[in-house]
Amino acid sequence: MIKQLRVAIGLIIALSTAPVLADIKTNVTIAAPWEVASFDPAVAGFALQKLQIMENLVDADATGILRSGLATEWSASEDGLTWEFTLRNGVIFHDGTPLNVDAAVFALDRALQQPGVLKKAPISKISGSNGKIIFTLETPFTALPAFLAHASTIIPAPSAFNAEGKPVALIGTGPFKVSDFTPPQNISMARNEAYWGTAPKIETVNYLAASRAETRALLAESGNADIVFTLDPSGYGHLQHVDDVETQAVPIPRVVTLKVNSGHPFFNDVRARQALSLAIPRAGIAKAITRFPEAAAGQLFPPALGDWHSKDLMPLETDLDKAALLLSELGWTKGEDGILTRDEERFSIMLRTFPDRPELPLIATALQDTWRELGIELEVSVASYTEIPAGHQDGSLHVALYARNYGLTPDPIGSVIQDFGKGGGDWGAMGWDNADVVKAINIIASTKNQEIRGENIAKVVNSLQQELPIIPIVWYQHTVSVDKNLNGVIIDPLQRSYGLSKMFWTE
Amino acid sequence: MSSFGKTVFAVLATRGLQAVVVAVIVGIVSFVMMQSLPGDAAYRIAAGRYGYDMMDAAAAEAVRLELGLDQPAIVQLWSWLTMLAQFDLGISAVYGTPVADEITTQLGYSMLLAVGAVVASLLIALPLGIASGLKPNGLLDHVTLGVSIFIRAIPSFALGVLLVLIFAVQLNLLPVAGFKSFANLILPSLTLGLGLAAVSNRVIRDAVVDAMSADWRLFSRTKGLSAQRTLSRHVLRNAALPVVTYVGVQLAYLIEGVVIVETVFAWPGIGHALVHAIFGRDIAMVQGTALVLGLTYVALNLIVDLTCRCIDPRTRRA
Amino acid sequence: MTNQTEIMVDVTQTSSYFKLSPSRLLGLGLMTLLVIAAITGPALIGGDPNKQSLLHTLEGPSIAHPLGTDNLGRDMASRLLSGAQLSLSLAFLSVITAGLPGAILGVTATWFGGWPDRLLGAFADAVLALPGLLLVLMLAAISPGSWWALYVGISLTLWVEYFRYTRQRTRIVLAEPSVEASRLLGLGPWLLIRRHIIPEIGPGLLTIAAFGAATAVTAVAALGFISVGIRPPTAEWGVMMTELLPYWREAPFLILQPVACLILTVLALHLSVGGARLP
Repeated sequence: MIKQLRVAIGLIIALSTAPVLADIKTNVTIAAPWEVASFDPAVAGFALQKLQIMENLVDADATGILRSGLATEWSASEDGLTWEFTLRNGVIFHDGTPLNVDAAVFALDRALQQPGVLKKAPISKISGSNGKIIFTLETPFTALPAFLAHASTIIPAPSAFNAEGKPVALIGTGPFKVSDFTPPQNISMARNEAYWGTAPKIETVNYLAASRAETRALLAESGNADIVFTLDPSGYGHLQHVDDVETQAVPIPRVVTLKVNSGHPFFNDVRARQALSLAIPRAGIAKAITRFPEAAAGQLFPPALGDWHSKDLMPLETDLDKAALLLSELGWTKGEDGILTRDEERFSIMLRTFPDRPELPLIATALQDTWRELGIELEVSVASYTEIPAGHQDGSLHVALYARNYGLTPDPIGSVIQDFGKGGGDWGAMGWDNADVVKAINIIASTKNQEIRGENIAKVVNSLQQELPIIPIVWYQHTVSVDKNLNGVIIDPLQRSYGLSKMFWTE
Repeated sequence: MSSFGKTVFAVLATRGLQAVVVAVIVGIVSFVMMQSLPGDAAYRIAAGRYGYDMMDAAAAEAVRLELGLDQPAIVQLWSWLTMLAQFDLGISAVYGTPVADEITTQLGYSMLLAVGAVVASLLIALPLGIASGLKPNGLLDHVTLGVSIFIRAIPSFALGVLLVLIFAVQLNLLPVAGFKSFANLILPSLTLGLGLAAVSNRVIRDAVVDAMSADWRLFSRTKGLSAQRTLSRHVLRNAALPVVTYVGVQLAYLIEGVVIVETVFAWPGIGHALVHAIFGRDIAMVQGTALVLGLTYVALNLIVDLTCRCIDPRTRRA
Repeated sequence: MTNQTEIMVDVTQTSSYFKLSPSRLLGLGLMTLLVIAAITGPALIGGDPNKQSLLHTLEGPSIAHPLGTDNLGRDMASRLLSGAQLSLSLAFLSVITAGLPGAILGVTATWFGGWPDRLLGAFADAVLALPGLLLVLMLAAISPGSWWALYVGISLTLWVEYFRYTRQRTRIVLAEPSVEASRLLGLGPWLLIRRHIIPEIGPGLLTIAAFGAATAVTAVAALGFISVGIRPPTAEWGVMMTELLPYWREAPFLILQPVACLILTVLALHLSVGGARLP
């Protein structure tokens, strides 16, 4: 009886995994770490935009250059306070209803009310008429089109909302429409035959959220997933030797940085912050932990950010002796237990970080050991990332380690305003006020003159390099593995799109 | 009413009452614990919703107002209890979807996994345990002991990854992760089942050894029953009782032990959801999940109780 | 007691437990080694479990590092010895804290029978219905990074096994004719426990306990897996298993080391006290 049972089980397994006899494949399976658990663009926007289910008024290519999306053209008034975006004609949502000005204004207005990029822009009103969407601003803001390319401003259909205005379905204008949604792990999509743009060659897409990097690497190797995003260094290294997949590492604008409370008596002198920076083993971290030695951060903004990355700046270096010298200049001397003391106070601080990105606790542990040599006692707290903005608000933060994306919008000015504008920011400077930098930032945000822009960007970048309110550690590389028969795959460093509509299978 | 019928009724009545008590206790205790968690719940919920790139203090304040988190604890508890009385589990603070919907799907998947794991563990442990018990201290007995200890000492995530490597990558027999087909159930069940089987096969072995050395077994052989009949009719039935008890314990234990496996295999179950809910301070979700898990535990105890009483008439008196 | 009673009592008693067989000796020997390792820690070999070497990570065994280095270049041998302290104390403590009260309560609950038994059982079940995972996560969240929170949480989850198992088995034992006979003979409760209950339940419990050590340490690993862990740079076998998982492909000998330590622990426990039965 047991033997028969075994045979039966074997048959069931064999039958249910029978390979699909293929001509050319028309399905793509994507595996990524990000779960999609909501219908709301403010919450799940990133995934919905990347999967091309919903679209923005403004689109951007892989280098960050803006181009038309659901809006065909846009212009600002002379005083820069009124912007008009012309809506594209003939676009329909997945359920057949047309994209008109009312629908777009409804969606964008809602995005303005929610936490998202629009709230950070000085928008006072959104309205529409005659096929144009009109934004009324309080102050001139040249980055508005870039903001409208952000994931939180994607446009769902009015029918996706219920009577109370809450989103309850995934209906957009994109080249793919949702055929099945099992939150938070899986979205199945099918090609939108009524799409306004170039039709995709792929017919169906399957998106699987697998939060463990080991699982993703195995999915890539076994061929269960055709594209896998965000591989851990070990998995990435292994997949480079697997025949059926091709691996890519694309630099992205995300940076691992150390936020320092510049108002704290230990750190209010710039020399203290410079000492901390000199004591960061960037080369070791880039080699051993993130495994991209070229990504050790010499300055805050990585090369992927164009004019914000300066080729002339002297890169930040690692020199423990210099660091020790700077700290002794500030009155610190090593006590009996090897920890620096000054006026009866020990240099004992706490670093806050979080586990959502596995490399962060490792980098924190690496810092812990190197700083111990210097004489700093570092306690590492790996908790929720909300402890960082909370610590910023109530002033209790010492140092914090996290990964900041300066390319949230195609123009970094959005993140820069948030982080280094007046009063600093939850994810930016704390207790550091530099009036010149604030002025420069405001000029960058409002001027259209490229030369003036360039001058002020250089000013900001130099200041940040000298004063180090935020100390960069390593730049991020986005690692991807692709089935070698899948072509047309373009990895977007701004992570706005998976490029599904351009992919096709050969063989 | 037969004695069995009477005990069934008694068991059902007790368990029914227990279910109500459990609902209230679990609800209140989980609420109290959520309130005593450090950190600002509004911050956590805002973080869960918008991600840390978008999340900041202003977003947290908005969440606080929206969910009424600044109201006194008693008021919040009362509103949850009144909603519960109307069978409404509320809305997830982080995702905005009804808690009942989320839990129904996820509990279904977890139950499937739990059943799969128990089936897998029985398929492995029963033959091995019985065979070892029939020849205690023999070669098979020692080998299974060694392997059991080895399997038990490996954490389930490592075991899962190993099984995926062998069956999915090298042999290409089964899928790596996902949940869409029956084949997806096999590796996660096997991962959990192996861990369970490692201990339960020893329990079965001990029970069989006990039963084989018991007086009544000797009596049965003396009576003239063959070894085979003795085994099936008496030994196994007596050995079954501690085994069923143990499996019952493991089952309850298991519902939550699935978290690891759900994460590794991208299985949309309830353990995984519960972890996210606690970290995200999604109060309604945590309370709803705790409630459902508690009631499931009661239901499982019910089944184990009835099975025990079915197998062993001696327990019907108690 | 009369002679006849003595004989009857003797006949119902199974073989004694403290025979020194070779396997038992091996078990006790291993236990001693582990205890020594736990007490001396890394001082045994004079290593530093926290000293990193970022340019020499994931290395194989060498003179300087007999068991290799981990992902941050730390000496594995020192870390394992340092981890022995936490892991072994967790394993032993949690088994005792979970096992003793669980078993005692199980016997007590069944002993009185009737209404008290049902009431206690129902109440205990209601308390037990609170999901263990929830308890552990809440406790870990209430005091993050704290060793004690994990320990209490894990014990609170483990005791269920012992309680339910003991209760069910005791119920059967107490219903047996031999127990009734002993009761009729006037044997008191302590004698009944010693002569009837302990022989029936003891070995099974000890088997569960031996494996319980593994359960406790892998529970810490599991919690670390979902990022509920101990503060770095603490070394502990379960935590090491989670930390070394990403390197399972390129350096499998690393993750196998804490696993091997755990295997030795369970083996030691099992051989010395568990599974002691003779056919």
